[in-house]
Parts: sequence; C-alpha cells; structure tokens
Amino acid sequence: MVELKNVSVTYSSGVDALNNVSLKINDGDFAFVVGSSGAGKSTMIKLLLKEIDATSGVVTVNGYNLSKLKKRKIPEFRRTLGFVFQDFRLIPSMTVYENIAFVLRVIDAPIKYIRKRVPYVISLVGLHAKTNSYPDELSGGEKQRVAIARALVNDPQLIIADEPTGNIDPELSYEIVELLKGINDQGTTILMVTHEHDLVRHFGGRIINITDGEIVFDEIIMGANDDLLPSSEPEVQSLYNSYEPAELSPGEEAAITVDEDPAPAIDDMTPDDVIAAISGTKSGGA
Amino acid sequence: MKLSGIKYLADQGVENIWKNKMMAFATFCVLQISLLLVGISVLFYFNMNSMIQGLNNQNEIAVIMNEDATDETVKKVEETIRAMDNVHNVVVHSKDEILENTLESVPDSKPIADRYITDSDFMPVGMSVTVTDNNRIAETSDEISALEGVQYARFYYQIAEFLRELRRVVSLIAGAIIIALAFVSMIMISNTTKTSVYARREEIQIMKYVGATNSFIRMPFFVEGMITGFFAGAAAFFITWLTYSSAYKVLMQQQYFMMAFGAGSLIPFGKIRIFVLLAYIVAGAFIGALGSVISTRKHIDV
Repeated sequence: MVELKNVSVTYSSGVDALNNVSLKINDGDFAFVVGSSGAGKSTMIKLLLKEIDATSGVVTVNGYNLSKLKKRKIPEFRRTLGFVFQDFRLIPSMTVYENIAFVLRVIDAPIKYIRKRVPYVISLVGLHAKTNSYPDELSGGEKQRVAIARALVNDPQLIIADEPTGNIDPELSYEIVELLKGINDQGTTILMVTHEHDLVRHFGGRIINITDGEIVFDEIIMGANDDLLPSSEPEVQSLYNSYEPAELSPGEEAAITVDEDPAPAIDDMTPDDVIAAISGTKSGGA
Repeated sequence: MKLSGIKYLADQGVENIWKNKMMAFATFCVLQISLLLVGISVLFYFNMNSMIQGLNNQNEIAVIMNEDATDETVKKVEETIRAMDNVHNVVVHSKDEILENTLESVPDSKPIADRYITDSDFMPVGMSVTVTDNNRIAETSDEISALEGVQYARFYYQIAEFLRELRRVVSLIAGAIIIALAFVSMIMISNTTKTSVYARREEIQIMKYVGATNSFIRMPFFVEGMITGFFAGAAAFFITWLTYSSAYKVLMQQQYFMMAFGAGSLIPFGKIRIFVLLAYIVAGAFIGALGSVISTRKHIDV
C-alpha cells in the first residue's frame, strides 16, 4: 500500500517539485502515473524509494512511514519493493541468473531456495534460454524482462516501474505492460510511471496524472477497445466502485481537477476529455 | 549473516578481481610502486644509519704516554682506562709501533730513519681507546688526560661532531622523504581505487535499490582490495629482495667502502627478510582494503 498525505517536496534550489499531494494506492492495484517531464513523477518515485525526504507531509509505503524511517532501516524497507528502471540497470558483469539471484543473496536467502526460485521467475518472464547470458547479449526488451524478473524474485508487495518501456521498441512495450499486468493479477501492487499515452489508453486502469507537482487527474478508465470511456461491464464497474480515493480535505479536492474548474464526472466525459486529462492539458469541452 | 553469505561475498571479491582485471591490475601496480618507494627508502635509511654508526665506532681517543713512563705506569694507566664506564676497548701500541706509524706518515722518511734511528726508546708508548657513547667522548678524553704518566689524550672532535650532525640530517631528510612518499602513495592509491570504484558506481547503486546493506556492498570491495594489496606487497618484496641483494653484493666487493664503514655496517637481507616480507604484505593488504572501502563511501549513500 502506498499513501501520500499532503506531501510537498521543495528542492534546495527553491523548486517546488510536489505540492501538497495526497494519494492512496491499495494493495493489488495497478496504477499508471503519467505526466510530462519535470511534472514531478521522478520526485514521487524518489520519495517512494526513500531516496529523498518530503519537505512536509507523510509518505507511507508497505506499512513503513518513510518520514520517520531511520537510515539503517532503509535496506529492510527496500526489500519489500521491486523496482524496474527505465535503463534496466542490470549489473553488466553478472549473467541473467546472477543478476536475479543477487537480490536473494542480499536478503541472505538459503541457497536451495535461490536455486529453485530464480529459474522459476526466469521462466515466468520467458527467458529460460538466456539464463547464462550477460546483459550485453540481450535485446532491450529482454533486458527489461530480466529487470522485471529481478523486481519479482523477492516476492515484493509493490513493484515500482519507472518508464519501463522508455528504452524499448513500441511493440515490445505492450509485452512488458502485459507482463506487469500478469504479475498484478497475482496480487502484487504495481505503480508504473510512463509518458506513453498510447500504452495507457490501450490498457486503461487507474490513471494518475501529475502536472506541475500536483495531481490533476486520478480516475479509472477503460482500455482503448471501448473508446476510452468508463466501462459499463460489471467487473470493471465493481473495480471502480471499490477504489478508494485518497482522503482529501475539502480545500484540496480542487487539486485533483484540471486547473480550478471542477472535474466533470467520469461518466460525463467524452473520449477527448479523457485524453486531454491524461495528457495534462485543458480540454475545450470541459 | 550466515557463513554461506560471507563465503558468497568473499567469492564475489575474488571474482571481481578477474571481472575488473584492468582496474585490479592498475591498483596492483600503483600499490606495488608505492610500497617499493616507501620500503626501499626505509631500508636505505636503516643502512645509512648503520653505516654512520659504523663510522662512529671507529672514532677513538689517541693516548700518548710520557716518554719516560715505565712499563708499570703504562700497565696502571691501561687498567685505569679500562675501568672507566664509557670505555669500550683499549689497544696498547709499543714504542716500535708508534715509531713505525710516525715514519709511515712522513713521506720519504724511510731512508733517513734507516740511517740515523737505531732504536725506538725516544718514542712514547701509545694507546687507542674506543668509547661506548660517542656523545661523552670529550669528557672521557679529559679524564684520561688527567691521569699520571699521560702526556695527552686527543680525539678527532670535528669528525665525531660531523658524524653526529650527518646522522641527524640524514634522519631528517630520510624521514621527510619517507613521509612525502607515503603521502604521494596514498594519493595515488586513493585515486586508483576511486577510479576503480567509480567505474562500478552503478553496480553499487543497484545493490542499494534492491536493499543491500552497506556492509554487504563493501565486503567484496574489501576482499578485492585486500587480495590485490597482498599480491602487490608480495611482488614488492621480491623486487626489493633482488635489488637489495644485488646492491649488497656489489658494495661488499668495494674494499674502500668496507674499510671506511666497517664490514658489519651494511645489513644483510637474510637478517631482515621476514620483517620486510611481513611489513610489505600487511601494509599492502591493509592499504588495499582500506582504500577500496573508503572509496565506496561516496557512492553508497543513495
């Protein structure tokens, strides 16, 4: 579970990267975080990894209050997360197997468990034949699948994927998101940061748009097949109904709308409105 | 941490040497050169010191008895001198020996002496007195001069002073050179290990993101630095052994050198082999390990 309560981050240069952001992502959710560069996505990721601290507000991830987390407890906290980087960040001197097994070594897992678990996750991402290859011998898509396997091997409660499709071919991007969706189906919470709106439109789900350090849109939309309109299917409706928006004080509700205009109810939105909302631009019809 | 975990990290350290062999080789070379620079300077200083000590020991007090001193007086004076606490050795030179030495010091005196000098009775008896503490040589010389039957006692004050001064200057210069070399070596080692660690900063960051503790990250670097340092120390030892033994052999063959400084003034390598080996290996392993671990500090804080 990820919860941000009235979180602001101001860098020493005076830049307000996040401004009074509140957000809640429940266990088992799959959420896309979208926004243009410089919008505050990276800052949010850094906050969730405890790489930086919030200037004000409370950040809670997997039950750890990051504002109060001691430095020596950071490794313990990070072991509850899986992280997928845009640039894969695989250790070049280690094989696929070693890159993944390394995470289990860190937590001092028994060798027997490592020997069983690592081949299993490698086969999950479909790279069995590449077990002993080095990262340099893999394509971009394969590297990212190794990175996903590495994020997964520890059986984390939450996987944060920062632009996981940013460095790979568009057609492979869909595969990567499918893979993450499959992992999510098993109960792992996934938070995927992306700026590829085509992907978001295609898959749908919970979309959080950050613009200028504020959440301007946070809704569940349907995938591209139904023209970006909220689903009337009972299954998706129930998912939508079960979604708990972050608790906000009345004054803050405006923060999750586009500018200061009240956001239209999602049922009343046209496809153009939704695309505009995802892109963080003001729709003419809104 | 379990034993298997420690073994894994130690194995990683060994593997890293192979995987990053170019950087490991650079560290090895720099460490070895640094150890050699400092090691050879220290050995040079020890030998210099020993040589000055050898020169110093040859400093002695020349004692000249009165010409009319009887054998009994000579014996008595010799015993009194021997009993003095600063006296190391006393050698008595007969009148004949003194005459011979005197004639030798005067060029072309032999034919004249053969012709006119028939006996050595007119010469005084002499003694060579070596002292234990050269700093007290003047005091001992005065004591001997005051003895009955002694004409005078003389020592080459300037040589003694010069040697003392030389030793002080050599110690200072050698100390300064050794400190400077050690400092330069530390900078060289630190830069090399920093470069080596910098090349792997991403690796360190990845480890941090997957929840590795600082000690988990540092352990392979520690092992890697220690092993590289160990071998650099061992290599420096063999180079020192070869160089030192060759230099020792060459100097021992120099007659004048040996006469000037005394045969025992150079330290044979066999006498210090174990000490040199241990010093090199311990210093190499310690500096290697410490350098690597300190260099990780900058990149570990993510």
